[in-house]
Amino acid sequence: MFYFVVRYARWLARVPGLPQFFDALLFLSTWIFKRSRVEAMEALENEALRLPNVRLKNHRFGGTEFVREPQGELGHIHGQGLLDVLLTREASQKLLATGRVRPHHVFPDSRWISFQIKSMDDIPFAIELLQMAIARA
Amino acid sequence: MNTESSPLPDNLPKRWPTWLIGMLMGDLVIGLLFGLSVFLQTAGSYQAILFPSFFLVPALGGIIASYFWRKLEPHAGQVVLNAFWMTLIALAGATIGFHEGIICLIIVAPIFYVMVLTGALLGRIWFRKSPPRLFINILPWMVLVLLAEPMTRSDSESVITDEIIIRAPPAKVWREVTSFPEIPTAPRFWLFSIGLPYPMATTTAGDFVNADRKCIFNHDAIFKEKVVELISNEKLTFEILESPRDPELVGHLTPHRGQFVLRRNANGTTTLVGSTWYTLHVRPLWYFDLWTQHIFRAVHMRVMQDVKRRAEL
Repeated sequence: MFYFVVRYARWLARVPGLPQFFDALLFLSTWIFKRSRVEAMEALENEALRLPNVRLKNHRFGGTEFVREPQGELGHIHGQGLLDVLLTREASQKLLATGRVRPHHVFPDSRWISFQIKSMDDIPFAIELLQMAIARA
Repeated sequence: MNTESSPLPDNLPKRWPTWLIGMLMGDLVIGLLFGLSVFLQTAGSYQAILFPSFFLVPALGGIIASYFWRKLEPHAGQVVLNAFWMTLIALAGATIGFHEGIICLIIVAPIFYVMVLTGALLGRIWFRKSPPRLFINILPWMVLVLLAEPMTRSDSESVITDEIIIRAPPAKVWREVTSFPEIPTAPRFWLFSIGLPYPMATTTAGDFVNADRKCIFNHDAIFKEKVVELISNEKLTFEILESPRDPELVGHLTPHRGQFVLRRNANGTTTLVGSTWYTLHVRPLWYFDLWTQHIFRAVHMRVMQDVKRRAEL
């Protein structure tokens, strides 16, 4: 569903409030059908807030953004637990080669990578990704 | 999932009142906005009240609830659950305060809940850092925008059309279309089964232009109509002059006219085409239009299936 909308109805993201509405729907379905994933997402939020000077923000295309000065946006997590992180070109290519992360769902040839959080086991790696994003400056 | 993040049991009594206050305050603002809008417009025709958007107002309610929940620093999962309770309280309030029918509440509930949730999730992050004073300052402007938004709408007429093939010539079908006795079959459409008025019979003063018609639904709901176009065995168009004041029907949409068109097919059958023109007064249009078309389709098919049954006897 997420990938279908992102691929064929991306223009809808320009309508104010619609990305947030869509993300709330995604989060609701995750909460109903994949509760353990929601617990992992909440754990990620808690752990990310323990990183120095990291704060949360509403992402303009729906979801929760992790922000830190001077880097700005480190990454964001969508309602279904998809974590998008902005890294250096070198770091993103190295990670993509391992197969553990995927190219970004909208900008596959960018410095952005996507990582699907499924359970608590994924949190240490997700935090590692955010730390790499902090280190990019 | 543990819905309380605090491990201290003595914190529980403090947390629940905060959740409840947030829900009640969010719902109160939503109720006041809808109430104020209805109050301001009752000077005009009650059948065409422009309700504030069910997309925007519940979202504001969710943001307000989050403002009261901010000190609890809730997880998103907790917000999902409490937005649900907030929606239930709001729907109960709408039943008491606005005399809304159960069908309206069933239709409104999904969009209302998701928008409360959207607002509450946004507020959850927003109020972690943003100074509450900023929100207090912009709240009156948000309220004004939401109240003014209905005045900026341009209501447009929509039409829903359905067709059915009847194994009978147009002349035989025509006799069953102009008026018909009580439909004997029980309603099969799920919303009819739980209380939405459904068509039972139609009476007419005669087969001529300007003839009065009555489309009789159950629950004694009667649509008063007037024939405006009549081409025997081909076309019947009628204006809907007055809709019943049933709580499930009043205020949310205006049905303008209905039409039956009979098309003769080469194989001796007739295609019966039924259309209804209407204007919706509730927003978001894309959401409520889905429901309206779903319901009108069921109304059309109940009538047209019965016309088919009688014509094919």
